[in-house]
Amino acid sequence: MTQHLTEADVRGIAEYVRIGMTEDEVVQMTIDLNSIIDNLQPIREYNLDGVEPTFHPIGALSNVMCEDLEQKSFTQEEALMNAPKQQDGCFLIPAILSDGGDR
Amino acid sequence: MMSSVGKSFGEMSIREIQAGLVSKEFSCEEMARSVLDRIERLDVKTHAFLETTGDMAMNAAAKVDAAIAADTFGELGPLAGVPIGYKDNMNLIGTHTTCSSNMLQDYVSPYTATCVNYTLRAGAIPIGKLNMDEFAFGSSTETSAFGPTCNPWDLGRVPGGSSGGSAAAVAAGLVPASLGSDTGGSIRQPAAFCGIIGIKPTYGVVSRYGIVAFGSSLDQVGPFARNVEDAALVLNAISGFDEFDCTSQHCDTDFTANLAEGVKGMRIGIVPAFMEAKGLTSEVRIKVQEAMQKLQDAEADLVEIELPNAAAAMSAYYVLGPCEAFSNLARFDSVRYGYCDPGHADLGSQYEASRAKGFGPEARRRIMLGSYLLSAGVYEQYYYPAQQVRTLITQDYNEAFGKVDCILTPVAPRTAFKFGEIADPSEMYLSDMFTISINIAGNGGMSVPIGLGADSGLPVGVQLIAPAFKDENMLRVAGALEQAYGAAPVAPDFACERSGD
Repeated sequence: MTQHLTEADVRGIAEYVRIGMTEDEVVQMTIDLNSIIDNLQPIREYNLDGVEPTFHPIGALSNVMCEDLEQKSFTQEEALMNAPKQQDGCFLIPAILSDGGDR
Repeated sequence: MMSSVGKSFGEMSIREIQAGLVSKEFSCEEMARSVLDRIERLDVKTHAFLETTGDMAMNAAAKVDAAIAADTFGELGPLAGVPIGYKDNMNLIGTHTTCSSNMLQDYVSPYTATCVNYTLRAGAIPIGKLNMDEFAFGSSTETSAFGPTCNPWDLGRVPGGSSGGSAAAVAAGLVPASLGSDTGGSIRQPAAFCGIIGIKPTYGVVSRYGIVAFGSSLDQVGPFARNVEDAALVLNAISGFDEFDCTSQHCDTDFTANLAEGVKGMRIGIVPAFMEAKGLTSEVRIKVQEAMQKLQDAEADLVEIELPNAAAAMSAYYVLGPCEAFSNLARFDSVRYGYCDPGHADLGSQYEASRAKGFGPEARRRIMLGSYLLSAGVYEQYYYPAQQVRTLITQDYNEAFGKVDCILTPVAPRTAFKFGEIADPSEMYLSDMFTISINIAGNGGMSVPIGLGADSGLPVGVQLIAPAFKDENMLRVAGALEQAYGAAPVAPDFACERSGD
């Protein structure tokens, strides 16, 4: 198995995608990802010179502008009904500007 | 409860149910209650349902009964009185939509997905929500956070996945039809493992609005049923343009129109390289060859074709799928909805703990992989070439469909495997070796049951592949195969004489 990613790389990705991991999990994830990426190698061995990419099965999509009309949407109550924490009709999160602070 | 045709409601076709309702042999409320009772009694074995929607079902049934009393049944729609189950990644207002994930364990839908809405508009009776691999990441339902679904043909085996609950519920005769979603084979492979019909229509035929997204350029919704006409009737109901999904297309095809036409003169492509693929078991190969022979006997022209870039589809898919999943799953922030780990003083640690505990191992792996593949310097090595490969695969199909009307291949390389039998993620990914390229190109594919494998005694399916927006071609071939093999039976242990109906 080729080492595509190191444990340090995996720690960096975990931080970026906001998934907390223990050291044991980092070790196992590094093994799993290197194994999966090994299996992706055929994609790098193809001669793709001059081949245009297709990003979507339905080509030639363009943005459609709709009329600016008032439409029924969620009420505030409906928008909040699945919020784990709420206060005064708003989503509630830990303070990000006081002592707690985000990193 | 049994009807005069000697079948339980679980074994009846849509036409039989509707005929029984109209002739007042049974009421829709009686039927809905019987279906819910049967699920309560039998689904302890299969675990196909995560939630039943009894109140909704009874309300919908009462409306059908009122229409029959008023002699307006004909105005209700093509699925009037038909019990349907929905994969649990489909929003239905007031129900839990969990995606079989701890992340969404407590999530209650504030709205209804268009495909679900279209079935209700057509008069269907909503019966419940069906188990799946977590966020549709898997081929066995073993990654469901709420425990796997068992294959009705052998409870020690997987039903396939990710729409395993949708397939098992139909195979066990708990409902006549269900909806699933297919990103790399998630309708077709479980349909094959459970011995029923499963259709992944061309991308754009069915709206994706209200389906929890996995791979937005690959996902497509489709029906499961035990006979081709039922599947076509459900597809008729759910297809068509939706202003909430800009990729959905206007579609007024009647998918039932040519089911009885036969295949005389149809050109059906076969791919010799697929029949020699490493990993294809001999019992599946033999059954697929038999299906080819039956179509030839029905005067179809079998034409050898090549799909030279199909071998690259697997690696392209396992680049594109995780990349799209990574960006789709970024929305789970523990703030607006979804699992929130308690007791964190800062938002960063709340995010990290909530996403670590909310997502299962396969979801975490795919998010990590997608993030890596899209990172600077890596993107050019994998993601961009994968999209170039997509062009080649699409060209392969375009060229093939210049010569043939439909292509026939295996669905899965083998029949249903035992729980825990495939532990290596890379090996599990091979389950989808014949189905993946169709999602990448975007055209339609379906699984049709063709009897049992000689070695395992388990259902084998054959895959029919249609040109984009010519899904009726594969349905016509499916109709001919059904003529040869008969409609799919309910799994033996769930047939009415053995299950206590």
